[in-house]
Amino acid sequence: MTSSPDLTRALTVAADAVRVAADPAADLARGRAAASARSRRRFRVALGSLGVVAVLAVGSVTLMEDPPANQSATPDPGVRLVAETMDATPYTFDLTPQGWSVQGQRPSAVTIAPDDGSTSEHPDDFRGKLVILFDANPVALGAPVERSGRTFWLRDSDDYTTVSTETQPGEPDGVVRIQYPRDAGWDDETMVRFLASVHVGPLAQHGLG
Amino acid sequence: MRASERSSEFVAFTSAHRADLVRTAVLLCAGDEAHAEDLVQMTLTRIYLAWSRVRRADSPLAYARRSLTHVFIDETRRAHRRRETTMADPATALPRTPAAGDFVDDHGLRDLVLAALAALGPRQRAVVVLRHWLDLDVAETARVLGCSTGTVKSQNARALAQLRGVLSHVDHELVLGVSG
Repeated sequence: MTSSPDLTRALTVAADAVRVAADPAADLARGRAAASARSRRRFRVALGSLGVVAVLAVGSVTLMEDPPANQSATPDPGVRLVAETMDATPYTFDLTPQGWSVQGQRPSAVTIAPDDGSTSEHPDDFRGKLVILFDANPVALGAPVERSGRTFWLRDSDDYTTVSTETQPGEPDGVVRIQYPRDAGWDDETMVRFLASVHVGPLAQHGLG
Repeated sequence: MRASERSSEFVAFTSAHRADLVRTAVLLCAGDEAHAEDLVQMTLTRIYLAWSRVRRADSPLAYARRSLTHVFIDETRRAHRRRETTMADPATALPRTPAAGDFVDDHGLRDLVLAALAALGPRQRAVVVLRHWLDLDVAETARVLGCSTGTVKSQNARALAQLRGVLSHVDHELVLGVSG
């Protein structure tokens, strides 16, 4: 199938009517700001890694000298998943994010919000929340991660990360995804575990998009 | 590379190609110029951050167009944009379909084309723009969208059938029919 010249010309008529105000200085300023923000993030991550190394080193020395009971050198994982069933019909979860609750549930999406009231009370306002999505779009965009015989795809988009995987045998065909803000204490490994615990029920419906 | 060198090259690139990216984004967004501008700004920011790779690409503009498409697809998947998408009723967004033989000027044709694009799903729209506006072949379109060539062909066929339903009525010097 070849490109249609008629359609191309129609698209040209539609696109060429746009008035474009080019401002390279503003684009450059945004680019520089993003570069600075990225540098600051990398610096914080580097400091955090050094801190973890220091904690582990101190912990090792302490363990060698006087092993205390109930002490762990594991760094704070941020938000934690606990082994409790969470129901959001038609979706159920084997794990529950501690301190977060189901705020909205639809056949094609579930909204999970923090209990601290830091986000909007409207279930359809997804900013700062975990969102489970179910659709029939292709899954393969992003970096693949294997876990428990399944493949999960991670893709960053500005302030959010999306993890996607195909549904399991016996569930409705499609792709289930979790979208989460990167500044809310979640990490990729935790989100892969959480998504792996999702069961898609027969009443689930594909969303658009 | 030096920061000043990157900046000067980026400004030259933006001056030369921003308009092209905005026009492509407007088609991807079916005429939503504010959303298109947002996409272009995000794309150019990514381009700046990845400038060392962009400048080594065979075609920096092609690289930027691919980035723009990825940003668009990402945005359609982001839940807060998704909500607007799912709530829209494409049928009500279409202007009155002209009767056979109706004359439509450029302004009317533009409205009709953008409304027809709005009635498509985001990925179908992306296929139409990549194949028929940017003139990418099926394999390259599939690579950009991260799907199979079969998916591109089927999406393209469905999109063209829908566009044909709207545009084939138009009596315009530019559009006398939409062929596959």
